[in-house]
Amino acid sequence: MKKRAVALILICLLLAGCGETAPRANARTVFAMDTVMNLTVYGGNDTQLNAAEQELHRLDAALARGTEGSAVYALNRDGTAAGTELAYLVRSALAISEATDGAFDVTVAPVLELWGFGSGAGEHRVPTEAELAEALAHVGAARLHTDGDTDHVTLDLPAQIDLGGIAKGYAALCVKQKLEAAGATGAVLDLGGDVALLGTKPDGSNWRVAVKDPADGGAYLGVLATDGGRFVMTSGVYERYFEENGVRYHHIIDPRTGCPAESGIVSATVVCGDGIWADALATACCVVGADASLALRARLANETPFELILVTGDGRVLYTCDGFTPEAGNGYTYEKVS
Amino acid sequence: MKRSPELKPTKYDALVVLAVLALAALCAARFWFAPSDAARSVVISINGAKTDRLPFDDAERDYKNNGYTVHIRVTAEGVCVEHADCPTQDCVKTGTISRPGQSIVCLPARIVVSVAGGAADAGYDAVAG
Repeated sequence: MKKRAVALILICLLLAGCGETAPRANARTVFAMDTVMNLTVYGGNDTQLNAAEQELHRLDAALARGTEGSAVYALNRDGTAAGTELAYLVRSALAISEATDGAFDVTVAPVLELWGFGSGAGEHRVPTEAELAEALAHVGAARLHTDGDTDHVTLDLPAQIDLGGIAKGYAALCVKQKLEAAGATGAVLDLGGDVALLGTKPDGSNWRVAVKDPADGGAYLGVLATDGGRFVMTSGVYERYFEENGVRYHHIIDPRTGCPAESGIVSATVVCGDGIWADALATACCVVGADASLALRARLANETPFELILVTGDGRVLYTCDGFTPEAGNGYTYEKVS
Repeated sequence: MKRSPELKPTKYDALVVLAVLALAALCAARFWFAPSDAARSVVISINGAKTDRLPFDDAERDYKNNGYTVHIRVTAEGVCVEHADCPTQDCVKTGTISRPGQSIVCLPARIVVSVAGGAADAGYDAVAG
């Protein structure tokens, strides 16, 4: 009798394993940084998500140039400001600007405002040449300075900066760190289409990220399989634009010309281990074009390695990632580039 | 050879067998009949909270929030924001979506129209771009 009871208990314990399921996905939607963000933590809890949401709202206020009291606001108003976070971001922005030969530049803010693409949400319009020349006279990374390793930043007024080009990448980095510190082991952060992957999937397989077709919001270019710790950031001329006299003007402004970039790139997706660089490089690649983007990737291979998925205006998809599986039958010509 | 009386099944053995069968049936039922979100549906979220769920059948709805009205049209093929009185019109420009994980966002109205069914069911965990 005793043996049978033990057997019964053992069988029950064995069968209890049948009921074991993958950790539940705990998700939250957050409106911040002028976009909608979806945070999914596998096996996560509300405490972790609360910490992540609070961090996003904090960064939204801290990095917006229109927020009175923020370090960015003070820098644009006074030409000088101090702050650990501000100094770190400015150093990053200057390094990216140098690496991209000015294709990414946080001082392009006044030009964006002229076109109605700035954070001031002005009316979309084509600026006059005189307006552009005046605004461009104050654009350039040389107008922004850090003071050694201190937290002190200065700006040659009337130049202005806008950290919007790296804000989501930095936010993804910060939220990822918050979640890791709170014990999360697997999470997907979708910050308005910019994706950060944390840790491992519950089943141990690679994360799979579908990359949107810039020509069709309902279709995908393919699916990227990648491990955790990656940031998948996309910029594209299809995201924000307006039309005037039959001409379409998009929001990716070449800081060197003050006009919408005409590089032949429709969208650029960057996969990188650094969120700030991924965010900025996606924009820079749209500005410089396919050949220069691939050259930039080769140049940064040791310092900041990154992978690319580029869509060109003539219907080609150039990709460097091994884990990318193209979607068949969508009219694009795919080229794997080493 | 004489059979050992100890190996003869008793009513207690039958009890063990029954218990095993019952537990196996429970496990199977939990696996097969667990609530699944695999069926596609349209989910409308306002201010981050899910407020409505629609099947992919012909339907039109108005949703109001933050001073704006978003009019959506659902068909068997997909869902789109047909018109909205928001200033950006990004939601209207997004067009029709139909695959799990896709969404249309009206930021001024803080309304998100998404296709549910689990992005993972569709073969991916997130959508970039």
